[in-house]
Amino acid sequence: MSLFKARDWWSTILGEKEEFDQGCLCVADVDNSGSGQDKIIVGSYMGYLRIFNPHPVKPGDGVQPEDLLLEVQLREPILQVEVGKFVSGTEGLHLAVLHCRKLCVYAVSGTLGNVEHGNQYQIKLMYEHNLQRTACNMTYGPFGGVKGRDLICIQSMDGMLMLFEQESYAFGRFLPGFLLPGPLTYSSRTDSFITVSSCRQVESYKYQVLAFATDADERQETEQQKLSSGKRLAVDWVLNIGEQALDICVVSFNQAVSSVFVLGERNFFCLKDNGQIRFMKKLDYNPSCFIPYCSVKEGTINTLIANHSKMLNVYQDVTLKWATQLPYIPVSIKVANLQDLKGVIVTLSDDGHLQCSYLGTDPSLFHAPRVDSREINYEEFDAEMKELQKIIKEATKTQDILPKSEKHRDVIVTAEVSPDLDAESQAIDSEVKAESVPSVTVKITIQSRVTAQKPNLAVCVQAPLAVTCDQFVFDDLEPDSSETVVLSVFLKGNCSPSELEGNCVVSYNRPTGIPKVAQCNFSLPLRLICFPAQPSKAANHKLTIDTNKPPISFLTIFPDFVDPSEDDQANVLGFQFLTGSKTTLLASKTSQRYRIQSDQLEDLWLITKELRLRLEEHFKKQNCKDFACTFSGSIPLQEYFELIDRHFELRLNAEKFQGLLSERAVQFRAIERRLLTRFKDKTPAPLQHLDTLLEGTFREVIALADAAEENQANMFRAFTKLKSATHLVIMLISLWQKLSADQVAILEATFLPLAEDTQELGWEETVDAAISYLLRTCLSKSSKEQALSLSSQLCMPKDTSRLKKNITLFCDRLAKGGRLSLSTESATQQAVVMPGGCTTIPESDLEERTVIPGSTATLPSHGQIAKQKSKP
Amino acid sequence: PAGGMGLELEPLFQAWSCFRRRKFRQCSDLCSQLLERPPGEQAAWSLKTRALTEMVYVDEIDMDQEGIAEVMLDENAIAQVARPGTSLKLPGTSQGGGPSPAVRPVTQSGRPITGFVRPSTQSGRPSTMEQAIKTPRTALTARPITSASGRYVRLGTASMLTNPDGPFINLSRLNLAKYAQKPKLAKALFEYIFHHENDVKNALDLAALATEHAQFKDWWWKVQIGKCYYRLGLYREAEKQFKSALKQQDMVDTVLYLAKVYLRLDQPVTALNLFKQGLDRFPGEVTLICGIARIYEEMNNISSAAEYYKDVLKQDNTHVEAIACIGSNHFYSDQPEIALRFYRRLLQMGVYNCQLFNNLGLCCFYAQQYDMTLSSFERALFLAENEEETADVWYNLGHVAVGIGDLNLAYQCFKLTLVNNNDYAEAYNNLAVLEMRKGHVEQARALLQTASSLAPHMYEPHFNFAILSEKVGDLQRSYTAAQKSEEAFPGHVDTQQLIKQLKQHFAML
Repeated sequence: MSLFKARDWWSTILGEKEEFDQGCLCVADVDNSGSGQDKIIVGSYMGYLRIFNPHPVKPGDGVQPEDLLLEVQLREPILQVEVGKFVSGTEGLHLAVLHCRKLCVYAVSGTLGNVEHGNQYQIKLMYEHNLQRTACNMTYGPFGGVKGRDLICIQSMDGMLMLFEQESYAFGRFLPGFLLPGPLTYSSRTDSFITVSSCRQVESYKYQVLAFATDADERQETEQQKLSSGKRLAVDWVLNIGEQALDICVVSFNQAVSSVFVLGERNFFCLKDNGQIRFMKKLDYNPSCFIPYCSVKEGTINTLIANHSKMLNVYQDVTLKWATQLPYIPVSIKVANLQDLKGVIVTLSDDGHLQCSYLGTDPSLFHAPRVDSREINYEEFDAEMKELQKIIKEATKTQDILPKSEKHRDVIVTAEVSPDLDAESQAIDSEVKAESVPSVTVKITIQSRVTAQKPNLAVCVQAPLAVTCDQFVFDDLEPDSSETVVLSVFLKGNCSPSELEGNCVVSYNRPTGIPKVAQCNFSLPLRLICFPAQPSKAANHKLTIDTNKPPISFLTIFPDFVDPSEDDQANVLGFQFLTGSKTTLLASKTSQRYRIQSDQLEDLWLITKELRLRLEEHFKKQNCKDFACTFSGSIPLQEYFELIDRHFELRLNAEKFQGLLSERAVQFRAIERRLLTRFKDKTPAPLQHLDTLLEGTFREVIALADAAEENQANMFRAFTKLKSATHLVIMLISLWQKLSADQVAILEATFLPLAEDTQELGWEETVDAAISYLLRTCLSKSSKEQALSLSSQLCMPKDTSRLKKNITLFCDRLAKGGRLSLSTESATQQAVVMPGGCTTIPESDLEERTVIPGSTATLPSHGQIAKQKSKP
Repeated sequence: PAGGMGLELEPLFQAWSCFRRRKFRQCSDLCSQLLERPPGEQAAWSLKTRALTEMVYVDEIDMDQEGIAEVMLDENAIAQVARPGTSLKLPGTSQGGGPSPAVRPVTQSGRPITGFVRPSTQSGRPSTMEQAIKTPRTALTARPITSASGRYVRLGTASMLTNPDGPFINLSRLNLAKYAQKPKLAKALFEYIFHHENDVKNALDLAALATEHAQFKDWWWKVQIGKCYYRLGLYREAEKQFKSALKQQDMVDTVLYLAKVYLRLDQPVTALNLFKQGLDRFPGEVTLICGIARIYEEMNNISSAAEYYKDVLKQDNTHVEAIACIGSNHFYSDQPEIALRFYRRLLQMGVYNCQLFNNLGLCCFYAQQYDMTLSSFERALFLAENEEETADVWYNLGHVAVGIGDLNLAYQCFKLTLVNNNDYAEAYNNLAVLEMRKGHVEQARALLQTASSLAPHMYEPHFNFAILSEKVGDLQRSYTAAQKSEEAFPGHVDTQQLIKQLKQHFAML
């Protein structure tokens, strides 16, 4: 991130698809012009050697033909170019070029022409050395303190330092503990070579020591012997920096003491001559190359560090002085004097971008892309805005979120339940203990009139019923196409269901992206869960349903349960549920009554419902419209309350289990924590049976969890029974009071909330709240009761007495002529407590502080009313 | 590669050069070719190890993740009830200089919101396991059960990604003792095991053997052992290793690691001292100064934090975190114009994201530069990468709408916030206030309840609920809510007044 970008003074792109690295750039007055003008020498891995003398007319000019002094292709890749006094007998500068297996030293000279573009430059090979080993990099300097000439030291890929005294080869030495080459440099002050080894240490070797060590080439031995025998190469000093280095530089500027700079992969170090850290800086980027270039302030050194985020940072010791943006990632960076301009930054990228630049306050402006800005037509906008406002207003007015059902449906889903049970049962994993669990086939067809994308069919039946497959995913539907799937429904859990219904939902996307759904319900045959059996005379629970028509023979209305050969089944019929219990249906021969009897209250429900349905259907077929059922007996509230109590008891159990479980879990963690402290100890202390305790607690936790799970299963069964009984009670109430369909709907909504029965929000409190509400509104006796405010938080009650009292009261009020209606009331606004949570996000700002004006003293009497409890 | 021109580079040299230029994929491929040829060369093997490591390297100092198990089974804390100003667990106990939550929003753990998202800024410390599990969790606050199941696991899958034909090094067959004897190979191998394979136990074994082989004289191995111990949750042992390493060689990284241990042990004061000692040795080290600033910020000492962030900028004026934190600090101390300059600076530096424009828009609004406000928000919406960010922008637009008095627009903005992120407690709260103005008491109440259940740490929903209940005459509930509000923000004068008033009412009855 930077504010400015490097200002382009002169730049060019070298060759095509050539590769460059750190050693490929060198800046020096290589042709000994004596003017102090540096030339830029670049060698590439393709073997091209180029020398530039940039002199742009004005900053930012491109390359001109006469800027390129020389371009030759050498036959081998160029790994490194250096300029120094490499030829004996002269102090003139010569160019050393390092190839993989060769070192060449050239003299560069120019002949001046009449005009500038007439200048001619050529290189002349002074001498060359063929190398025995693959070279990696080199360094040069007045090794051993020689005056007026530079010696060359080449590091090979396998760790040998080869020293050349100009035209002659001096000696070669292996570096100890070598694996991969690191950067290499020569410090003339201490007359030593400094490198960073694979052990991640900065190592310094005195030239003297190298010279006197045993010659590596004389010993034709394996590597191990080399290391163990002979005079081991003694290191002058080492500094463990714990990382690999990219480059090393030794500099000494007039004011500052000589320092060794090491650019590591993650840190930047400045070392004293003796290898102690003078300072270091942790870099928060990946550096690519660096160069310490001068000392501006006494005692400090300025360094340029380029990185892989295309940034060039200027540091004064560790303080960032300037940061600038480069157009590419440089692999090598130098500072040169070009055309009387001091301190030009020369950078080279690995794909051949060569740039001479200087720092300036040219902003590195990031131009944010324009946001889609339309030509503003205020009139159109106003119109559109009005339209949208209207839609929003409409949408907020109608409380119903769902759109009105269109008559013309795009996708229709139909479910067809086969009239007969499957010949071969498809039931899988059923927990029912009966000999055979029947199944029934449901065929679901989806017809589409339009293109429906990603149609997804979900089939759902209430547990304990189950389907063989409940999810289907189809390919996109073409217009006027259809899909059909077949599945089977069977009884899975070991209890009777409370409803013999299922539904299927198709969700799909319109091509415009709008998600839509289509659904349908289907009802399942009674035969799925019970079969005919011998009727039994005695039973605990009996219900009598009155009708206004003479009794119908069961042969007519229950053909699927009656064996036509047996006459006596005409008015008595036994049903055996798969789960084991029995229900008997009796038709009175004389009066217009039917009796349903069973040992369990909940088992009456499905049979009663089926009876009523079939009777209604039968009379409908006969075009007899005034058929009606009534119920005149008392509602079996006591038995119903027993079921509620049973369910509630299991809920209490669940709570108990939960408490115990969390207690044990706390204990378990406490033991764990103690064990952890012991295990962490260096000197292990005896465990003092903590492990036994841990295991014991673990068993307890598991046992408790098992018990809780069993309780949960029991609770589920109890709830199913409760639901069956509730259905029955609702039906009986509606028959008893001859309620209209609207009122039955309210009744159902009151007693059978859609919410799942959970520990936090269970059936009891939900129903209690709903009944209390009805009692306070449409069934209230006085306006006083109506004023009561609702308690907003539902929580599990301590016992069911209040609920029972309310249900009894509810029946009483209904008996006294109460009418269920919601018309006088606006819809209840129950507190919606959203699950989940949120975190505050740093960017979200100031909270809205209360806009509500300060509180006003409200009437104390108001508060009194609020505290009154509802009268039973 | 150089092959095209008929000029052949030595393959190992080429791989080495690629590595230096961070072309790790190419380097690793070249090394693989070299390794296929017998005999498998150590140098190529080591280079490939390094290349694979560098591909997935993340600085361990920036890695921080505390799982529920770590928080709950943490027996390292010195004092369960710490003195004020010595612990990060009790954010409320700031010693002056902290802004009030009325001005600056707080995070769930009660710390003021910072200007820069860091991995550790999410950490709040729940007091019991049950609470920890029940704390509302969203994708933004999700905390893994243990750190062993969190982010580290995802990092560990690097080995599967980079090498579809199986891991490069089969750790189970590795003779660690043999490699520990070879320091030149061992260090690269360790980093590979630790960063690439994410196998802390094996890494620790190797490091333990290697440090023994180095006769406990190599500080680097001690730091690595410390890193392993830290990952394993053995903080005291890690501390020992880091301290011993520091005795041998002063290094910035070691100081940072040690401070990280102290922070995990909830000893911010020790960490501060350590940082300050580190600064004596490495004057001007940005990471150290920044570390100090972060600690002060977490301890609610905002003025000191700002001082140190300024010091950071003196050393490195391109430090984004420091600029952002100072900017947000100015914003919350009611100097939006100055905050604006900091954010503009970030923009000039090339930070280009939704958050920045969001902040710019808000600063512009409060600095009364209305012309820029909406276009900033427009850009923010344009740049939003996910629904959470969009929600933030709409939320702030809602503020602007409230500010200009267009309540209808405000209402719709807050609704849009909830459409994008239905866990946005602040939006629920503000919607409730708007509903209240319209006279929809029941709706307002439901919204406030939702807000307070989503963000129990915010005092506003509680307070608004208290006022609302008081207004309709439900004094009991008003009192309860007011108490919750006081708990969340003890210094809130309005709450205190309300409670006083309610108490008077109760006394009269």
